[in-house]
Amino acid sequence: MATESETPGPDEPPGFRPTAEDIEKWMASAFDMAKDALESGEVPVGCLMVYQDQVVGKGRNHVNETKNVLEWCLRKEADPRRVCARTVLYVTVEPCVMCAAALRLLNVPVVVYGCGNDRFGGCGSVLDVSSAPLPHTGTPFQEAVEMLKTFYRQQNPNAPRPKTRKD
Amino acid sequence: MEPQLKRRKESENDDVDTWVALPVLSDQQSHDTKLIPAFAAPITDKKETSRLMKELHSLYPLPGLQHIKRVRPRKPADGLHSLEVLVCLVSDAPGIDLHSESLTIDSLLPSDGIRLNGLGPPFLVKIPACPPLTRPQFQVASKHWPTTFHEDKQVTVALRGELFSRPQKSRMQGYMEAALAAARAGGESGQEPVGAAMVDPKAEMIVAVGHDCRAGNPLHHAVMVCIDLVARGQGGGAYCFDKYPACTSALSPTSSNSKPASKTLQTMAEVVEEGQPYICTGYDLYVTREPCVMCAMALVHSRIGRVFYGTASNDGALGTKYKLHAQRDLNHRFEVFKGVLSQQCQDLYALKDPIKH
Repeated sequence: MATESETPGPDEPPGFRPTAEDIEKWMASAFDMAKDALESGEVPVGCLMVYQDQVVGKGRNHVNETKNVLEWCLRKEADPRRVCARTVLYVTVEPCVMCAAALRLLNVPVVVYGCGNDRFGGCGSVLDVSSAPLPHTGTPFQEAVEMLKTFYRQQNPNAPRPKTRKD
Repeated sequence: MEPQLKRRKESENDDVDTWVALPVLSDQQSHDTKLIPAFAAPITDKKETSRLMKELHSLYPLPGLQHIKRVRPRKPADGLHSLEVLVCLVSDAPGIDLHSESLTIDSLLPSDGIRLNGLGPPFLVKIPACPPLTRPQFQVASKHWPTTFHEDKQVTVALRGELFSRPQKSRMQGYMEAALAAARAGGESGQEPVGAAMVDPKAEMIVAVGHDCRAGNPLHHAVMVCIDLVARGQGGGAYCFDKYPACTSALSPTSSNSKPASKTLQTMAEVVEEGQPYICTGYDLYVTREPCVMCAMALVHSRIGRVFYGTASNDGALGTKYKLHAQRDLNHRFEVFKGVLSQQCQDLYALKDPIKH
């Protein structure tokens, strides 16, 4: 992400992607958030929105997150659409149908998540909102599944080999 | 809000004949009748019927087609036979030339499996692949081959547009008018002209009214605003919509009308007693146009009771692109009706400012 230009246009090229190092670093943060949540008896989900190597939104659900992002944009006097179009969302679990649609509406181009969500998932588990032809519901986003390698290496020697899904 | 609404209802009662609320059914309930090819044969000796049915059933049990009746009566046009029996599916008899003159009952049945007494020459039929779930599906299916039909009377009545009585329609119209008024107010302030009203049908009162606010936040669609207002009325909610006077919640601290508030608290207490303390449990939503997939899933999460909308929308998720309310793998399903004040809801699009999106 460091190589991206400082003044992005609203229409990002489709190739916009975080690097492998970015993914590992931010997913580890998201995972730490989830662990903290679990330890304090809350739903163990961690989620970060990262724009130009800064965390612009943080939360366990999209209401808080997007609220944070929009407040951040307000503080920085930045156009939320431009910021979102260059923001990567890292989350420990596949966003639900509602959140996937919200991410489209915000034009977030890339979503990285740790595991699928059979009950509510909107990136292929229940519906495939992320890539469906919905021309009036924002832009489709790319997905990457990052299986939290560091966690499995340290704590679960029997875990399956991590798989990555490119689209 | 309520007394005003009642006055309007009485004066505009005639309008209820201008629209019909039709159910938005699942794909299974609304798809066309799929047909599969099969062989049938006339029963030439009625006395053999029960034996033939039994023997054919053990030879070709037709798995997954429990809705198909094995035997159908025919009007004896030629006077020779009046019953026909389903022998097997075409896929049960591979290698049979369907159009050959030589298609005989022997080629379909093993010589040692069944006594052929009383069976005439086989012929090709098409039978319904799925059990009919609605009366229209049953009527189409029956033209091909008789099936069983476990009728859901409410669906039948709803498909005729007769589920709601005039007094009910009058109330529904009043609720949609509140949504329409909010939509117009939103449209006038530069938002998408979409409005929504959350209703407690037991108390017959509006709990919250909201309009689209996406010019301020791209996620503030009318339904999301309305749900947040309901949550706010219950002591939660994430946002403040005070700058939009047409977005109101019956229980919000700014509300001056305390009577409906206590009514709702009572209903909420019932809901909590029933062990379902979700934001919209038991509530009906009236929205001028079909919700998008984000809004539809928010309605699933908040356990909405029923949704009524005026017109379909291009990316709609309650009928057009998805039928989220009937999605089997989600943990909440609900009824959806469309067409309430459809013309008035359609007319809102004329207000739309093309610059805002």
